[in-house]
Amino acid sequence: MGTLPDSAVGSASSPGAESAPGRQHAVTLRSIVKRIGGTEILRGVDLDVEPGTVVSIIGPSGAGKSTLLRCVNLLETPTSGTIHVEGRLVFSGTAAMSRGALTALRRRVGMVFQSFNLFPHLTVLRNVSLAQMRVLGRTRSEADERSMDLLRRVGMEHKHASYPAQCSGGEQQRVAIARALSLDPSVMLFDEPTSALDAELGLEVLNVMRQLAADGMTMIVVTHALHFAGDVSDRIVVMDHGRIIESGDPQAVLTEPSQERTRRFLRAVLEG
Amino acid sequence: MSALDHLTVLLRGVPMTLAVTAGALALGAVLGLPVMLLATRSPWRPVRGAVRLVVDLVRGVPPIVWIFILYYGLAEHVVRLEPLTASILGLGLISSAHLAEVYRSGILSVDAGQWAAARALGLGEARLFVDVIAPQALRIAVPPAATFALNLLKDSAIASVLGVTDVAYQANHEAQTSFDTLTLYLLAGVLYIVLGLPMAVLSRRVDRRLSAGLAR
Repeated sequence: MGTLPDSAVGSASSPGAESAPGRQHAVTLRSIVKRIGGTEILRGVDLDVEPGTVVSIIGPSGAGKSTLLRCVNLLETPTSGTIHVEGRLVFSGTAAMSRGALTALRRRVGMVFQSFNLFPHLTVLRNVSLAQMRVLGRTRSEADERSMDLLRRVGMEHKHASYPAQCSGGEQQRVAIARALSLDPSVMLFDEPTSALDAELGLEVLNVMRQLAADGMTMIVVTHALHFAGDVSDRIVVMDHGRIIESGDPQAVLTEPSQERTRRFLRAVLEG
Repeated sequence: MSALDHLTVLLRGVPMTLAVTAGALALGAVLGLPVMLLATRSPWRPVRGAVRLVVDLVRGVPPIVWIFILYYGLAEHVVRLEPLTASILGLGLISSAHLAEVYRSGILSVDAGQWAAARALGLGEARLFVDVIAPQALRIAVPPAATFALNLLKDSAIASVLGVTDVAYQANHEAQTSFDTLTLYLLAGVLYIVLGLPMAVLSRRVDRRLSAGLAR
């Protein structure tokens, strides 16, 4: 698999004139609907994420947060709506996407999962190197060198020769972050990255994410860690029943939400 | 004739027993892969359905009937196969259907998160299958595949009805000229068990090696 020019993203068709996605946005979602069977998981979601900002998505389970996140890199295909990443149209609901364009999109967008999903048959180092070799066409030594840099960044270089099963959950998630960074993405998606971890291990992951945010990475984070969301986010988005019901300054949303539904959710999280 | 003399005769059948088993296993292992891919990954639903139907049909017919079809049936109209060839083809065909199923269940047991993670990293479907899914599926498939291989070793005895000079054939042949029938067949039974032992040990070792560092 050779490397593909970034311009391959959105080459399938040109953006509709009326949607006018600003070039300033890292990610623009418009009217995203996702139906599975007869159920509407997403009911028309709009979201703009500016470069270098952190947007946290909170809300009760079943609200559609993870599904929305997975639409950004097209792990889920929306039923309708449009998606722009870095100003380029990656989904318009009609034009089928070419393999090359899909690969190009996924090079630009890294993703971290709740259950880590490290490749259990590969060492920590090879987990981070695999996509560099297969997608970017780097040699093993080039890839390994870059991987060691990334592992150092997440404090995991000492375990480069270990297998995932030999690492704690927090360590696995930090490796997963290094792996998601391995293609030098401009946007990072985090799908409840600390939900499978206890508080202490979760903290080491959040600290890595904090550092990433401080370095200017664009991040969309689905999380139940409200403290982190309040501290690190530039904006908090609240979802319920497939819609965004509230969005704004983190402290404002967390302390004086405008919606009764948000108040109820926050109360439940804080008391739980 | 002593039991030792009987054993010497039976041992002459070991190479053929191993040849039938290994031949059928190799054929099935190789053929099972495209069968599994067609049955699960083909973008055309009719192809998937047709391949699955064929797999079920192949598995539904007793091995000895398959071998008769290939040896006697084909000889009449199409091609005259050697007994050994017919046996390996027949058992190999059945093996491919069984092993395709073993492969399929191995792939199904790989966590869905592995596919998602590999896709999110930009790996194409073929690439992620080779690099991420297959190695994990293989490890899961080793124990059932070994069980199947052991069964195949035993089933290979049906090649003797076509005159393939395997262990069962030698036992049968010797039984007709000696009055020690019980001893002969018991010895043959023990010999099959002994032949299966290295396979059982080997599979356990392979399984252990492949699962090193795999458990979550």
